[in-house]
Amino acid sequence: MNEIITIASGTWKNVLRMKVVYFLILCALVLVASAINYDVLSMGLQKELMIDVSLVLNSIAAMLVVISLTFEIPKELREGVASTLLSKPLGRFQYLIGKMFGCIVTGAVICALIAVGSFFIFNMSFGERIGVTMFQTHLLVILALIPMSALGVLFAVLLPEVIAPIITVVVVWFAFSTKFLAGIPVLYGGILPDLDLFNFRANAVYQVQIPWMYVLLVTLWGICYAAFALSLASIVFERKDIK
Amino acid sequence: MEENVIVIEGLSKNYKRWFSSKGTKALDNLTISVPRGSVFGFLGPNGAGKTTTIKILMDLIKPTTGSAFVLGKPSYDVDVKKRIGFLPDSPAFSRQLTAREFLNICAKLLRIPSEQRNETVEEALHTVKMAEHAREKLGSFSRGMLQRIGVAQAILNKPELLILDEPLLGLDPYGRQEFKQIIIDQQKKGTSVFFSSHILSDVEEICDRIAILKKGHLLCTGELDKLLAASGINVVITPGEDKVFKELMTDAEGSVKNPDGGWTLSFPHNNPELLKKIEDMKKESPDALAISASREKLEDFFFRTVENANV
Ligand SMILES: Nc1ncnc2c1ncn2[C@@H]1O[C@H](COP(=O)(O)OP(=O)(O)OP(=O)(O)O)[C@@H](O)[C@H]1O
Ligand SMILES: [Mg+2]
Repeated sequence: MNEIITIASGTWKNVLRMKVVYFLILCALVLVASAINYDVLSMGLQKELMIDVSLVLNSIAAMLVVISLTFEIPKELREGVASTLLSKPLGRFQYLIGKMFGCIVTGAVICALIAVGSFFIFNMSFGERIGVTMFQTHLLVILALIPMSALGVLFAVLLPEVIAPIITVVVVWFAFSTKFLAGIPVLYGGILPDLDLFNFRANAVYQVQIPWMYVLLVTLWGICYAAFALSLASIVFERKDIK
Repeated sequence: MEENVIVIEGLSKNYKRWFSSKGTKALDNLTISVPRGSVFGFLGPNGAGKTTTIKILMDLIKPTTGSAFVLGKPSYDVDVKKRIGFLPDSPAFSRQLTAREFLNICAKLLRIPSEQRNETVEEALHTVKMAEHAREKLGSFSRGMLQRIGVAQAILNKPELLILDEPLLGLDPYGRQEFKQIIIDQQKKGTSVFFSSHILSDVEEICDRIAILKKGHLLCTGELDKLLAASGINVVITPGEDKVFKELMTDAEGSVKNPDGGWTLSFPHNNPELLKKIEDMKKESPDALAISASREKLEDFFFRTVENANV
């Protein structure tokens, strides 16, 4: 367990020290705040627009973190960072879990910053308290990081370096709109995760509370999917030659 | 305690390509063993398969056939790595971390108890003379500085066995000198060292055993003294003994004029008639010449071995 935390902390330190991350968070918050100016576009629904924009941007941020993971793992393998780490008493499976944990924590920190920033802007703009639903929906965005980062790890070890991020973007994008994928029964909620389970933008906009039981169950589902994807990844990774 | 710290038996590696059945044969039936306490130089031209062998020892690459044992355990044993120090061929570490943080991560992974960790890290930083750069990010380091950090992470756990892939690469003359001292100190502490290098003069200085590899084949392995001594004899001719000199000169492989006006001639071992002739001359006029076993330079031995090999 200690090994996993060590790898994970190395990962999040590495990402959270990049100044560009905070610049992007700031950009996201500026976009959220600017929703108030779109009174024509939103036909007086600025409040709803702002909630929606904050959720979409937060999901995109989560996706970016996962994509950065699909860049980082092949890079560590290519540059030899991984071989230094794996020459220590550290199993390859532990390395992958550590990377995934690192990604989840990084994503959680970034998404939480965006969520809190959005709440603050919302409160400043409309003088309203933050409803439970808004909190829940942002929490679900963070929880979606669990299956998403496992998927990122899987693609990062399965696919060649340049292709992994592209496939991840495409799959995550489709996975958020499984209506399209529902026609392919094997994929739907099977090999690929059904990320639509974590998407409650409509609830947020219309302030319809989500049962806490659902949040719990969907978290469990995410953990199960992550376990599945990570096992698959480790079967491949155990046999891989590392540069 | 095991006699050999590394045992490699019939090791072969075929790198497969994606869309072709024929791969690159990097290692062919390699068998070597490294006795405990030795400093072992692993030599060979570029592409000989040194890095491949070393990575198989560290279980980073899976062999096609054959097996490798380190410290008596199969190379895929995770726990045995606690007792090994490893320096990869091009050390690269997370750029955003400082030297101290990186070594701390390594120390944690090596399961060094937390109360000893800081002290161990500082000691390693000190050994490689990087203490003053401990707070700088690895991304800002030069090649040689990274190499030093690489050496530091390899000796953190006071390993029983050091496996180093081209540890001298990128080091300045001071760095090379310091590195050799580190190796000698490690050997005194009982650490066995296995390293690849292209700098033959340094290998000759610190190694007691070597192996030479070419295109994945083992050309020779053994004690350095024996390998180099077996190569021929030297004959020192006293100044003024021109008759002896002229007679032997034509058969000599090499001749060097001595400061006193005499000559040193070198002869190969593999010509019994010639050796007989020299012995007879020695009997005839004992004062005219002195015979001694010549110790070939490692560099000459290396070129001769690699060029004569038909692989
Ligand atoms: N990942 C790889 N895929 C395919 N072939 C490889 C791979 N790595 C090494 N090779 C091939 O294996 C052979 C041995 O390479 P290796 O890196 O072990 O040599 P080396 O002795 O370390 O050389 P150098 O002195 O240049 O470091 C070479 O022919 C090389 O082309
Ligand atoms: Mg090499």
